[in-house]
Amino acid sequence: MKSGSNLERILESGQFAVTAECGPPKGPAPTVVKRKGDILKFCCDALNVTDNQTAIVRMSSMSGCVLLKEVGVEPVLQMVVRDRNRLALQGDLIGAAALGIRNVLCLSGDHQRFGNHPTAKGVYDIDSVQFLQMVKTMRDEHQFINGEEFSGDTPFFIGAAANPFADPFAFRVTRLAKKVKAGADFIQTQGIFDMAKFVEWMTMVRDRGLDEKTHILAGLIPIKSVGMARYMRNNVSGLSVPQAIVERMGDAKDPKEEGVQICLETIEQLKEVDGIHGVHIMAVAWEDIVPRIVEEAGLMPRPIV
Amino acid sequence: MITLEQKKFEDIEKMTKGCGRLLVLGCETCAAMSLAGGKKQAEALAAAIGVARKMSGDKSEVLSDAVARQCEPEFIDLTEKDVAQCDGVLSLACGAGVQLLAERFPDKVILPGCNTTFLGVNEKLGVWSERCAGCGDCILDKTAGLCPIARCSKQLLNGPCGGSMDGKCEISKEVDCVWQLIIDRLTKLNRLEMLEEIFPVKDWSPAGHGGPRKMVREDLES
Amino acid sequence: MHPPCKLACPIHTEAREYVQLIAQRRFEEAYSSIKELNPLPRVCGRICTHPCEGACKRGQVDEPIAIAALKRFASDGPWRGRRDAVLAAEPTGHKVAVIGSGPAGLSAAHDLALLGHHVTIFEALPVLGGMLRVGVPAYRLPKDVVDEEIEAIADLGVVMKTGVRIGEAIKVSDLFDQQYGAVFVAVGAHKDRKLDITGADAFEGVVSAVAFLQRSNEGQDPKVGRQVAVIGGGNTAVDSARSALRWGADTVHMLYRRSKDEMPAAPAEIEEACGEGVHLSVLTSPIEILGEEGKVTALRCMENRLGEPDASGRRRPEPVRGSEFILDVDMVIAAIGQAPESSFLAQELELDQKSHRIITKDAGATARPGMFAGGDAVTGPATAIQAIAAGKEAAHAIDRYLRQESPPALDPIGPDERARVSSAVIEKTRTFERAEKICAPMDRRLEGFEEVESVLTEDRAIQEALRCLHCCLGAKIDKDKCVSCLTCVRVCPLQIPKASKMGEITIDPFDCQACGMCALECPVQAIDMDLHPRGDIVVEMTAAMSKSARPDPLMVGFFDLHGNFVPRDMERLRQDHPNVLPVMVFGLRRIDTVDILNAFELGAQAVFLAACPLENDPFPETREGVQQRMARTTDLLNAVGLDGGRLAMCDMPEQGPVDKAFIKDLGERVKEMAPNPMQAKEDNP
Repeated sequence: MKSGSNLERILESGQFAVTAECGPPKGPAPTVVKRKGDILKFCCDALNVTDNQTAIVRMSSMSGCVLLKEVGVEPVLQMVVRDRNRLALQGDLIGAAALGIRNVLCLSGDHQRFGNHPTAKGVYDIDSVQFLQMVKTMRDEHQFINGEEFSGDTPFFIGAAANPFADPFAFRVTRLAKKVKAGADFIQTQGIFDMAKFVEWMTMVRDRGLDEKTHILAGLIPIKSVGMARYMRNNVSGLSVPQAIVERMGDAKDPKEEGVQICLETIEQLKEVDGIHGVHIMAVAWEDIVPRIVEEAGLMPRPIV
Repeated sequence: MITLEQKKFEDIEKMTKGCGRLLVLGCETCAAMSLAGGKKQAEALAAAIGVARKMSGDKSEVLSDAVARQCEPEFIDLTEKDVAQCDGVLSLACGAGVQLLAERFPDKVILPGCNTTFLGVNEKLGVWSERCAGCGDCILDKTAGLCPIARCSKQLLNGPCGGSMDGKCEISKEVDCVWQLIIDRLTKLNRLEMLEEIFPVKDWSPAGHGGPRKMVREDLES
Repeated sequence: MHPPCKLACPIHTEAREYVQLIAQRRFEEAYSSIKELNPLPRVCGRICTHPCEGACKRGQVDEPIAIAALKRFASDGPWRGRRDAVLAAEPTGHKVAVIGSGPAGLSAAHDLALLGHHVTIFEALPVLGGMLRVGVPAYRLPKDVVDEEIEAIADLGVVMKTGVRIGEAIKVSDLFDQQYGAVFVAVGAHKDRKLDITGADAFEGVVSAVAFLQRSNEGQDPKVGRQVAVIGGGNTAVDSARSALRWGADTVHMLYRRSKDEMPAAPAEIEEACGEGVHLSVLTSPIEILGEEGKVTALRCMENRLGEPDASGRRRPEPVRGSEFILDVDMVIAAIGQAPESSFLAQELELDQKSHRIITKDAGATARPGMFAGGDAVTGPATAIQAIAAGKEAAHAIDRYLRQESPPALDPIGPDERARVSSAVIEKTRTFERAEKICAPMDRRLEGFEEVESVLTEDRAIQEALRCLHCCLGAKIDKDKCVSCLTCVRVCPLQIPKASKMGEITIDPFDCQACGMCALECPVQAIDMDLHPRGDIVVEMTAAMSKSARPDPLMVGFFDLHGNFVPRDMERLRQDHPNVLPVMVFGLRRIDTVDILNAFELGAQAVFLAACPLENDPFPETREGVQQRMARTTDLLNAVGLDGGRLAMCDMPEQGPVDKAFIKDLGERVKEMAPNPMQAKEDNP
């Protein structure tokens, strides 16, 4: 065991994992995170806390993780390289380890231009691949990135994001290989709507043997409305939403219900895809729907290992 | 070349208000090539400021001139007589030139008429784009002649990120994803395997994060 | 550097200058420019062979500028009388005799008089003008025109004596005895070569062209036959043929032994002759004149084919066996070449044995010191402009001789370099049709000797002059200032500036058409033009503003010279809108933001730019750039506290410089604004 986290144990035991996402609030109220934790406690194996997602200032991921632990939920600490240099990142990692956080997701982060402080200076001292490498070196060599040794353990289960739908398509798998080589123990992908493309990607992943070196969790985004579908199709770089989905949402009598159905159908299809070790449900501002999805997908109850 | 653009006239007018006899000083190298601060632009700007002053009843004179470069002390020295007769100088040079001018004439009000933008190329008439970040540690050999420090919005060395779509950067469809370009070119050169290796973290000190930079050629220094 | 038109002209006429002045609607100045060098401009405007047009660079694009027609336009105009009298130099006390009152003699007399010498012309005929009077028919050169030009020369104090044949009552030696310091022999070539075929002397009705034309041009009926044959292919032959038609011949043949391309007559003349009904037979030679009862009845002719080149370099015509034919004629006019009547000079000068031409050295100097010669008497039959050149050259040589000065080392003008425009530039140059000749309709012409061609109308002359490509007046780069920014390379509509690897930019002076884009856009002001150099517009505006007070609201209007307007239109504009100060430019692309700011600094309440009709614009692709420049200037005007609405652009109407409604609107708009407080300084330079 690298970290001994719940997520690691479930994945290492060969079981299908479920993770979800929890967006912290814009303000300091601890109850928001705690409430989301309560809702999602029993339907997922670990819960991601996002880090200033889409470059909008929110309660820090670290504090969110601590609050989740207080209500008995295992957190995944998301960290972006956009806002912190290597000193801050390493400092936060030591701190996270001290606070008992065991899962870390290493990300680039959306460009600050998209957020509510577009004039801020982006840090980008290191990139996400170098970040993965850094966490692994800390965990396995007990060394900082400058080669300096430190005492004590930082036992993290290291995660990275993968986007099968971004360009250049052919290179995505090489990038995934780099991340795995750098130290990614588990992968959470971008939300899947274009199943054909995802299957194609997984074939390439399997051909390279990467499904055996890392645990891939397929991403899902339940859609609430046709507006949301359209927005994701037109405005979010890296998301591939087929026109058919937009039309389906548009034609639906009850869009929310339709969104749930699409999600469930996707999960069923994913179960048939070799190399997938779980799903990651990103119900943005709709966390309440996750328990139902997990239930109706037949993934309840969550195993205890 | 260093690229510049002239500040908005409203800002220049505000900046130069009340500063008395004004010399608008152009620079005939980068500023001229950017069509922002050559002799022609200095003259035109001086004329415009003159008119604006006349319209507001300010009778003080506005003159114009230009020198080959404002980043060399010898050329700055040649402006001494003209500067001495003025109360302030509106320099159209890049930030470096404005500062050298201010250093040489600390008792005069030296003002920047242009914004220095980036190091780049002149793609065609009227279009300039950034190419180099001056990071002091060129890696173009590893990236097929395309710089991710200058041209990747996140300065990734192991790019692209998940936001690259149709060869464009997530921040704008007008911006090419340089990592897409790097991959394409390395593919054409049959050198794509170079990207299998993890590019190590960058030492940002030669890029300016180690403090203001200075370069000394000891073999030339006297 | 001299433009090709000037280099090609025997007297180095500044054709480019007067063409440009016509384009600028400055007709009187155009005339003055011509008169500076040419004493016979109305003559040349009609009959010159215009070698300038042959060299004109425009000819490589479409058709050469109609320089001769423009010369006529400028010289025929009613302003010609208004020209101030030319002041001659102080009298030198020297006397010069000129023998002959043709173009060579007249030009020599004119220049000598201006140099201060006392000149007397001795003319053998009872009339003045030489071949201008007795050789060229009135339908080409009306005699009142010749009279006027000769009178102007007489007004300089030149004494002209007619009916005096030197060599008879007065010998050459007598002239020197009478204290003439120098003699200029310009007797022309008035002796026709005789036809050397059987029957040439035997019959009535066989006449020399010179004698025929002399009678005809004096207004005396030369009694043409019904069927006339003119032998020869030069201008004299064509003049004879066309005159014969006018005197009533039923049929006129012109026979020339070589091909049409080799005919020495001006192509335009040949065309007009054929159009009037002259039957041209080329590669045809007469071999015998046949007659009955002492009168010519027919001409036996032979066809030729061209064989090997002869001494003159032209292919020798060889008779084609079996091609003989008979042409019924009752008059034969021989126009096969003329020679000077120079026997009276046999004692004094060296003469060519065969041609009887006077042999001269540099600038008309002869074997005898103090005696000079020029014109057809030296060259054989040539053109009027060559005779004028010879006369002028001799005048200056005589002047130096009298002052005992040595001649200048070199011809300051230099050799004739006919540079070619690069084909890439020719392809990109917009074509404009040359002004057509205005000729009397065919059915009217043969009624008499009325002048066939009319002078160009003002608007046609202006549009023709605007076709000029401004050779050598274009952009010049100061290499010391150039920073190789490549802006000129990028803005040139003809892609003329070329950059070398090391950043040296070159602009071919023969390709550049002086559009002004590069000079205006160069960020370091390293480029200037000779056609309205930098600052010219401002100087012109400042001078015009200071000249007279104008009513409110003062408006400066920039007018593209390529518009369809004549001076009368601008006069009307001045009368109707005395508050408008017009500034005329060769294209609105010559106007920069600083020029407009300057107008406001001088007190203008409004500035407008009037764009020429699109079909007149030689650089239509630059119009967008002009719009953008004006948009930026409008923003700047707003930023400096002058309302951007004070600057307006308009399109010129079909005819005229500007729509009245536009000026009215602009004036009203400007009246609503707080007035521009700036004024032209009181003490203008």
